[in-house]
Amino acid sequence: MAQATLAPEGVTQALSAEAVERISADEPTWLQERRRHAWSVYETTPMPTTKLEEWRYTDLKKKLDLAPLRLSEGTAAPDDPAQWPERLREAMDEDREASGHIVVIDGHVVHADISADLAKQGVVLGSLQDAVEQHAALVEEHLATEAVPAEEGKFAALNAALWTDGVLLYVPKGVQLEAPVRITRWLTESGAAYLSRVLIVAEQHSQVSYVDEVLSDDFESQTFTSTAVEVIAKDGAQVQYVAVQRLGKGAFYQSVQRTLAGRDATLDTLNVALGASVTRVDLNARLLGPGANSDMLGLYFGDGSQHFDFNTSQDHIKPNTASDLLYKGALDGSSRAVFRGIIRVYPGAQKTDAYQTNRNLLLSPHARADSLPNLEIEADDVKCSHGATVGELDSEAKFYLMSRGLNRTQAERLVVMGFLGEVLAKLPLGGVVEKVSRVIEQKLAQHEG
Amino acid sequence: MSAAPILKIAGLQAKVADEVELGILKGVDLEIKPGEIHAIMGPNGSGKSTLAKVLAGHPGYEPTDGSVTFAGEDLLEMEPDERSLAGIFLAFQYPVDIPGVSIANFLRTAVQARQPEGEDLDIFEFSDHLTERMEMLEMDVSFAERHVNDGFSGGEKKRNEILQMAMLKPRLAVMDETDSGLDIDALQIVAKGVNKLTEEDPEMSILLITHYQRLLNFIKPDFVHVMVNGRIARSGGPEVAIALEEEGYKTYEGQEAPSTNGSAPAA
Ligand SMILES: Nc1ncnc2c1ncn2[C@@H]1O[C@H](COP(=O)(O)OP(=O)(O)O)[C@@H](O)[C@H]1O
Ligand SMILES: [Mg+2]
Repeated sequence: MAQATLAPEGVTQALSAEAVERISADEPTWLQERRRHAWSVYETTPMPTTKLEEWRYTDLKKKLDLAPLRLSEGTAAPDDPAQWPERLREAMDEDREASGHIVVIDGHVVHADISADLAKQGVVLGSLQDAVEQHAALVEEHLATEAVPAEEGKFAALNAALWTDGVLLYVPKGVQLEAPVRITRWLTESGAAYLSRVLIVAEQHSQVSYVDEVLSDDFESQTFTSTAVEVIAKDGAQVQYVAVQRLGKGAFYQSVQRTLAGRDATLDTLNVALGASVTRVDLNARLLGPGANSDMLGLYFGDGSQHFDFNTSQDHIKPNTASDLLYKGALDGSSRAVFRGIIRVYPGAQKTDAYQTNRNLLLSPHARADSLPNLEIEADDVKCSHGATVGELDSEAKFYLMSRGLNRTQAERLVVMGFLGEVLAKLPLGGVVEKVSRVIEQKLAQHEG
Repeated sequence: MSAAPILKIAGLQAKVADEVELGILKGVDLEIKPGEIHAIMGPNGSGKSTLAKVLAGHPGYEPTDGSVTFAGEDLLEMEPDERSLAGIFLAFQYPVDIPGVSIANFLRTAVQARQPEGEDLDIFEFSDHLTERMEMLEMDVSFAERHVNDGFSGGEKKRNEILQMAMLKPRLAVMDETDSGLDIDALQIVAKGVNKLTEEDPEMSILLITHYQRLLNFIKPDFVHVMVNGRIARSGGPEVAIALEEEGYKTYEGQEAPSTNGSAPAA
């Protein structure tokens, strides 16, 4: 094992045991202990290398330098919307009806609202720090315990030890939210490490859609954002989790997500990755109760030298569960995407329906996509399939459209939007579709250069 | 009939792009005046679709000799979209599917491209017009929301081509085997639609490519040409089509038009 005299991997000036103590100084004991435990897991977990199958295509030695990072200590941002950055306000304007909002600037919740009616019914939407005090039992039960505990891996441990901002969404039994709750995050500190968490607990037969968008301008030096997402849908609950990543260049976006779906629960996810220099998403959907169902959607558009790595798993633990994964991406410039997905059907999980599809469209000869689907089936009465494609823009389709008067740019745009649109059409949340379409169109407009 | 031709093809030769051999068109001559309906018939593989695609500017074919003038302009110099905006429309023999793109969205973009610079399409006017055209072709309005040719039956694809033609109002429509894949009822609806368009715009010209006399009973050509082995082997009036129906293409087998240029006919 590691020599006691050597600094453990990933421990830096900023990411340190002292930081854990400082951050947790005023926190309840259970949380302090949880952080310390996570820190010890972090210290003893080696930094993943390309020798590990799951990290084969993302070389952290080259892509991530933790040493110069500071912990985000963002000073409290103004809570007056008039003083918020233009792009943040724009992003919010595009969000139509919502049941509630949270605005986070540099890790500080500067605004939170929830409709009075929903608050009365017991819906909680707010900062996780506040919830540690106000909803202690709930947070203590679920935070970094069943969904994304420190033991999940190096980054999960780091996050559980040093998280400084977060969101809690709690929906009581039977409560249904018609409009989504929307979280908008804006990051400005170049060279910072942002560690945040999301905890969503939807009680039996409740229903909610949660949309979390993170954006920034380009960063001068590498900026690290780590998110741990825990989504728990109890029996019969219906939950949609949507993450839209629109960070600037220089960002390393890392997200560990786990969804736990109880009996007859529906737990759908959509990951949209448009920005950041490096994106790494680890998503594990666990179908824990009979009749549970998960649609897992992903959409990415890369250009320049952007790098995307999606690592997904669909765990069918109980019988009669269904999952359907569709990840689609377009890659321009010398961007690159890796998709690695596994369907696991546990012994006894009969009548499982599990599908997994990854499709890539290469818009440039220098772009690259690798797709690694996998199956691990330990039950015999199941329907499972996986498929992956990497293709180029269909030149016949382009000619067909041009023969109707569309110029080359318009023709390409329509084909690409049509290709990616299939994903959005499956989870057509107001605001998300338009926003994502517009960003992709902007990216395509640069493609012509 | 002294009007200048809208389309003038002279000595057109073309081959598959990126191939040294594979000459397909071996000297095509054809003139179409505004308002005229021409039919090209000919056996499979004689080069009819290649001619249609060369006219539309398909990048897979390369003209190697001859010229094509459209409304006084050198057509071969133009990009496919420029040709479309200039008034050429090709109804594809094999329409291409564009997953995820609705017919309405696609047509809106195509019609918008025809607006004068800086002028936005009136969306309501457009929808009304689209609905009216779909009614003309006896199509259900829900069709507009379906993805272009994606999962369409053969007949639906052909009808969709004519819908586009009706929306884009070309000066010259090249219809490549629009009749194949249509049952007799659908054929009549399509023919009625096309005839309606020529009524609306008597200057519109049509180049019908077909295997069979059948379509010509509904859309009456002024001229009929027989294409064999990359050339027009015979031209005449509607009687040519009737003769073909009776005799088949046998009379043309092994026949080569006089080799006035260097391209040696295949043996
Ligand atoms: N892209 C291509 N590559 C190779 N051969 C081709 C290509 N396109 C057409 N041809 C050949 O050219 C000839 C004419 O084809 P086509 O124009 O489709 O004929 P038609 O429409 O009259 O049936 C055929 O022998 C066909 O195989
Ligand atoms: Mg043909």
